[in-house]
Amino acid sequence: MTGDGQFGSARRRRVLMIVVFLIFGILMLRLYELQLLYHGEMNKKSEENSVRAIVQDPIRGYMFDRNGQLVVDVGPSYAITLVPVDFDMKNLDLLSALLQIDPATLKDRIARARAYSPFLPSRIKRDVDTRTLAAIEEHLTNLRGISYQIESKRVYRTKAHASHLLGYRREISDAQLAQAGEDYRQGDLVGVAGLEARYEPLLRGEKGFEFVSVNSKGQIIGTFEDGKKNVSAREGYDLFLSADFGLQAYAESLMTDHSGAIVALDPSDGGILVLVSKPDYDPSIMSGVTPPDLWSELQSDTTKPLFNRATLTRYPPGSTFKMVLAAAALEEGVIDENYRIRCTGSFRFGNRVFKDLHVHGSVNIIEAIQRSCNVFFYQLMLKVGFEKWTEYGRRFGFGQLTGTDTGDETAGLLPSDAYYDARYGKGKWTQGYLISLAIGQGELGVSPLQMARFAAALANGGIVYQPHAVEFIHNKSTDRMERVHYDSSLVGLSPRVMAMLREGMRRVVQEPGGTGGLARIPGIVSAGKTGTAENPHGEAHAWYIGFAPFDNPRIAVAVMLENSGYGGSKAAPLARLIMQRYLFGGLPSNHPGPAPTQAAAVKTISQAVH
Amino acid sequence: MLEYLKEYFDFKGLLICLALVGIGLLSVYSATYDVGAAASFEKQVIWTGVGVLALLAAAYFPLRALQRIAIPLYIVTIVILLVVLVIGKTISGSKSWFGVAGLGGQPSEFAKVATALALAAFLARTTTSLSNGKHLLTAIGIVLAPMILVIAEPDLGTAVVFFAMMLPVLYWAGASNFVLAAILAPIIAATGALLGTLTFLFTLLVGGALLYFTRENRFAAAVAFALTLAVGLTVQSAYERLQPYQQKRISTFLSPDLDPKGAGYNVLQSKVAIGSGGFLGKGYLQGTQTQLNFIPEQWTDFIFCVPGEEFGFLGASVIVILFTSLLLHGIKIASLSSNKFGSAAAIGIVSIFAVHVLINIGMSMGLTPVIGIPLPFLSYGGSALVANMVSVGLLMNFYAHRKEH
Repeated sequence: MTGDGQFGSARRRRVLMIVVFLIFGILMLRLYELQLLYHGEMNKKSEENSVRAIVQDPIRGYMFDRNGQLVVDVGPSYAITLVPVDFDMKNLDLLSALLQIDPATLKDRIARARAYSPFLPSRIKRDVDTRTLAAIEEHLTNLRGISYQIESKRVYRTKAHASHLLGYRREISDAQLAQAGEDYRQGDLVGVAGLEARYEPLLRGEKGFEFVSVNSKGQIIGTFEDGKKNVSAREGYDLFLSADFGLQAYAESLMTDHSGAIVALDPSDGGILVLVSKPDYDPSIMSGVTPPDLWSELQSDTTKPLFNRATLTRYPPGSTFKMVLAAAALEEGVIDENYRIRCTGSFRFGNRVFKDLHVHGSVNIIEAIQRSCNVFFYQLMLKVGFEKWTEYGRRFGFGQLTGTDTGDETAGLLPSDAYYDARYGKGKWTQGYLISLAIGQGELGVSPLQMARFAAALANGGIVYQPHAVEFIHNKSTDRMERVHYDSSLVGLSPRVMAMLREGMRRVVQEPGGTGGLARIPGIVSAGKTGTAENPHGEAHAWYIGFAPFDNPRIAVAVMLENSGYGGSKAAPLARLIMQRYLFGGLPSNHPGPAPTQAAAVKTISQAVH
Repeated sequence: MLEYLKEYFDFKGLLICLALVGIGLLSVYSATYDVGAAASFEKQVIWTGVGVLALLAAAYFPLRALQRIAIPLYIVTIVILLVVLVIGKTISGSKSWFGVAGLGGQPSEFAKVATALALAAFLARTTTSLSNGKHLLTAIGIVLAPMILVIAEPDLGTAVVFFAMMLPVLYWAGASNFVLAAILAPIIAATGALLGTLTFLFTLLVGGALLYFTRENRFAAAVAFALTLAVGLTVQSAYERLQPYQQKRISTFLSPDLDPKGAGYNVLQSKVAIGSGGFLGKGYLQGTQTQLNFIPEQWTDFIFCVPGEEFGFLGASVIVILFTSLLLHGIKIASLSSNKFGSAAAIGIVSIFAVHVLINIGMSMGLTPVIGIPLPFLSYGGSALVANMVSVGLLMNFYAHRKEH
């Protein structure tokens, strides 16, 4: 047994032993790698494997109005669930009839449920009505694998729609889901418009988790660590709104036959009292899972009920904008109250003639506001100049976002030198372009929300507030009521100028010859300004901005009616009714009871929101 | 007295075997006790009893007689394999289970040992010479016959064991490097052919190189290469003629990652189980992977996960060390043995154990393809346990008779 070719040679024995040691080495190395090197990773995987978190949806935050009335509530919604392994496909037709889903669609949903998990219940129809639920319950014994689970949906406890203020939720999209991380899962509803969208992170609360042990089939075999690691759901924060839902409902009723918007603000803080955009929709149809056909019907409706006219339209403001020019002229000292011109009913500039509605004769600025004399402001514009006009427009917040918390908005359009240079080229536009702007026509766009803020600034002596719907937030983590802080800026007008502007506006309503006489409220002095925005596509848009009471304004309002004609005749009466109702409706104007708490907590919340 | 015992009784082999069997029983109990398969554990205990008796019988069976009946035993085994192929009931997708008194037996487990014995008996003949082409082909044929039968079942895993057992035995018996290369090259080429044209060309190159460097004469080398090429091409064209599902089965066999919900899933869960065991393990009966049944077939092919998860690195190392000691001990017996039959048979048994251990533990840790072969002494299954204990008994027998010619 010596040579290599011999039976059982020593050399070959060594080779075989080396092979054995190699096997030993490979296995030990791999054991070391898996059990010592990657132990943490593998251990985590092992835990993920055997422990499932059952998500418990939190109760979404409620919304209360300024009178402490619960307006947006949460109620039960029923989802029909199916466990694929338990369901007998022979019952497909029965189930299809009960749920009113065609068999092909239902089959597809069951297939998807099976792909998710054959052993766990999947929702196959959500937010079913009670009749369907009753029908299903009747057949439960025949329909093995079918059950239902209770989810939550919005319940609206108000006569008002307030659709554009409150907004709505939709099922989270795949794209959102990919971004959202662990806060959401498939099928969750997420706010996409209005307050529901803006306050989504606060309203939604935090999901709870119940940890259970499962076997390899996903069947639950018991609680995990006696529930010690369970996390209970945290309710969403409640919102306390500045809005008055009685007034909101009333304003909506006034707008039934109109297309347009009404925004009313509390001039003392910019709180939104009313935000109406018409046509609108009943938010309760979108309270849970909106059926796709209903959704596409809303979207394709030519009257655009989903479009928020209060914050997204940018029509010219018409004569209401004369107040900006008047402010600039007086504050800059270009004219004073003694400055008068003679209105002949038209104004010639170059070879163009700009018209007025009437021959006003000799007018000073207060009378020009009262009677809305165009000729006065045509000339004034040329005296004040474009730059100053733009500056004062900007001071009143035009051409910028208001920073409202109610959802999407437009900045509108406030033209300037730079704007015209960019649009037409330097030196290619003339002063003639400015003349239309003097009376709020032409290339100028404002939203009703901006106009309401404008009215509020004129009412409160020159404070431009960030208009907002939410005043307080009930923080469920600390159980404290926290005030939300908002920005404001000063227009910077001297009291004397402010008084003149307000006097002009008072006369618009209160004095004979004023264009806004229809806004007069018996027993109260109110002030305002009418506007009629010329519309090349049809009937003019009617505007009215105003506030009352004159000496101690408690409400500022902007009314915009699309294609309705003169502001003085169409918009002013609506404004009057709203202010009258608010001031005399027996409605308390004080905020709800809860007092603001510590500043530190307040700061966190405002940062979270803004 | 003790000296006498030590001279004739292989304590070491027996102790290693019993230690492994003990760990195996613990593992099977852990894997089955709460999944309604507790009856499996009881069966396994009974089989252990049978195994001990079989071990003693094998250890004390007269060696000469064993050598004489090796070939007839082998022929009987072949017949049984044929019968299984025709009437055997299908379990786990292949026809290898043989209904015996309601207990179920797997003849191929015994066929491996029987074939090793037969091959050893043939090589032990004084007239046999591996440089004689006819003798060499006979030796190869002894292994190929049962191998083809188990492939037909189809039990590819066991077929791999047959092949892997043949090479070391021939090597031990003095086959030239060229002979070994000539056997290995066609197999490498055939495997390559299944994996695609590029790998086929590469494996052809490797096979060619092996033959070139071990060549004894050019003619033989050329013939061997031609054979390699022919086998490769045949396999390739046969593969292309297979049904897609059959192709898939083969590709999954070669790379389980292609089937993440099937074989790939098992490997992943098994790796997680072993890895999550850490250094000390999660404690006996505390393994979540094991106890929650994340690993299918965890009491058969994936049994290693159970001690891996519950006893950790410490426990798993003990198992690997025990197996390694058994293999080294077997090689030692083979080289101590004066009679060629015992020596070659010992190498055959060691090789069978080695392949099982490497592939089974390897696949549990994602190192080797998922080939359904059990882990000796640990995996649940009566025939395998008895066959393995018989093998250890045989090693003890060879040890006791190591000085006889």
